[in-house]
Amino acid sequence: MELQDVYYDKSDYVETASGNKVCRRTVLCGSQNIILQGKVIVQAEAIIRGDLANVRTGRYCIISKEAVIRPPYKKFSKGVAFFPLNMGDHVYIGEKSVVSAAVIGNYVYIGKNCVIGRRCELKDCCVIEDNTILSPETVVPPFSRYGGSPGVQVGNLPEVQADIMVDYTRSYYQHFQPHKNPL
Amino acid sequence: MSAGIIDIDYVKYACTCGLLKTLQQLYFCRYCSELRCSFCVSHEVDSHFCGKCCENLPSPEARVKKNRCVNCFICPSCHHELSTRIASKQPATPEEAKATKRTYYLSCLCCRWSSRDIGLPDQTSATGSWPKRKTFMQDKEFFKRKQKEKIISYTDKTGITAASLRKRIGLPEDKPILKLKNAVKMVTPSIAQEDIDDFDEEVLTKSINLLEITSIDQRLLQPDVQPVEMNMIFPVQKMLSIKRSLRCRSCEHNVSKPEYNPNSIKFKIQLFAFYHIPEIRIVTVQPLRAGVPAELLIKFTNPTQHQTTISFLPFDTPIEIKESTAEVGGSKGEDDTSDLDKSLPLMKVIPSGAKVMALVDSHLNMSRSSARMVTPRPLDVSINCDVEIPSSTFILPPRDDAAEYDDFNEAHNIQDDKKLVIWRKSNKAFIKLIVTPKEDTSIGTVITAGFTMSHLYTNTITSVAENKKPQKFNHNIKLILDLGKSVGSE
Repeated sequence: MELQDVYYDKSDYVETASGNKVCRRTVLCGSQNIILQGKVIVQAEAIIRGDLANVRTGRYCIISKEAVIRPPYKKFSKGVAFFPLNMGDHVYIGEKSVVSAAVIGNYVYIGKNCVIGRRCELKDCCVIEDNTILSPETVVPPFSRYGGSPGVQVGNLPEVQADIMVDYTRSYYQHFQPHKNPL
Repeated sequence: MSAGIIDIDYVKYACTCGLLKTLQQLYFCRYCSELRCSFCVSHEVDSHFCGKCCENLPSPEARVKKNRCVNCFICPSCHHELSTRIASKQPATPEEAKATKRTYYLSCLCCRWSSRDIGLPDQTSATGSWPKRKTFMQDKEFFKRKQKEKIISYTDKTGITAASLRKRIGLPEDKPILKLKNAVKMVTPSIAQEDIDDFDEEVLTKSINLLEITSIDQRLLQPDVQPVEMNMIFPVQKMLSIKRSLRCRSCEHNVSKPEYNPNSIKFKIQLFAFYHIPEIRIVTVQPLRAGVPAELLIKFTNPTQHQTTISFLPFDTPIEIKESTAEVGGSKGEDDTSDLDKSLPLMKVIPSGAKVMALVDSHLNMSRSSARMVTPRPLDVSINCDVEIPSSTFILPPRDDAAEYDDFNEAHNIQDDKKLVIWRKSNKAFIKLIVTPKEDTSIGTVITAGFTMSHLYTNTITSVAENKKPQKFNHNIKLILDLGKSVGSE
């Protein structure tokens, strides 16, 4: 199905020169550590914990409502250290998902209500279905579809998944428009 | 949402074999100019890799390792991958801290099982040294080795194999394997035993602690041992995954060949239908009522570098399937399609084997027995909606990646039928069709519409090789559209 237009309140969003659209009602901790590469949408009530470690996204990433991006930590004998969270291009993160992955590749789709455990590695072209709980340090190989709790591989993806994701995130960005007639 | 991401299959394409697939699942063989699905291509294993550590193994090595990764283990309790942990043992004295080395153990972050639970000692190195449980198969190999040791091998000393020696002195080839197979194996009869162990009554009286007993899943993970108690489970080496290349069964050309690197998502050969066949998406449809015409808006996208013309044909148009596939644009099948049963529009033989020869010399090539002909199956779909087939055609311009950045490039000189084409931009067009659900459909039934799309396909294979003009021909595809459920009349 073709995507429908999603309208937002223009006063509610900040648009940067590189095309990032960030909602004012988000929690961006340590914003000097957050790099949005361009054409990224961060929707209302999303939380990005840049105060813990660097968070870097690629182009055309969509962070949906109430999603939490939280850099992963690792316990050492002398305490806890946080690691940066890197995200590739064309990544979609669904509503209310908590992401603590170490690496998120390009063309990754994370459904809603997911928990991506700490230090998970999501390789390029993978899909995490809705309501999936990935246990910590899971590696999701390319072209695989994970689902369930705990998340296991439930299927494979078509070879054109990269193009599907490019098309999806681009058209999402294009259809994410301000209200034509603000109230 | 977008097709392929979430299970969206509102628009299905009929493969040459008669199966219904989404465009993303289909392949397009440029040499046969036919759609192929995963059932009409042969799958070949390209490389083995471990899904956790992404290590690449050549196939002989993978075979020796029994298709399992050397370094990665999965949890015998919950099947999740185990991670290696450093044992944090506090040294009592500073001298001891210098002397003791780091030790490692395996731990599951999903169910908290660890290799210490079964008393496996901590290892001094992180990888490679984990003890393997001695299995029946390993014992068998041990016996084989023992037997081989009895025979003195002259090959090691002289470098001459028995086979090469036989050839040299003109003896016929030795086939020891065949001889072995013909020999009848003597079976030792089983002997009844006199003294049998007493029945252990504890089996009935002792209460079971279910936490100590393994589940069926846990037992079947280790089929050689099938542990009954939790203290008998053992870390299992992770199975390798494969990368596969796909080959068209008719012309033996690759339709998909991935790059060797396990992390790479690129392809060396990628003949996916998504790059050759116009994509169709449903935009909107008016509420469907039995017998009432409704407007259906669909979006066409041309993914190719060539302009195409799209026309509509009724759903039951028979589709010709080419007989000769060795040549590009060869004979377009036989022309006796008129007497075909309308309900079986794809009743035509298609090649399912490796290479299809011309019928005249097919008996000469019977050694290539794979040249089987299989009739495509009838489409497994019931159409309960009529589509008004528009008589006019429309043009889709080639794909232009730069057009995305060009907001003012609306000056296309295409004369459109305004009733058909609602809107267009670069290689996309919105098309309006009139659909009418059949009179006798009850409320709440899923409405399925279908039509045949004919698009002008430009094949560039011969033009590159022989400096000829690219071949253009019309390619027909049957499409099934799921329009959702019908609603009640007003």
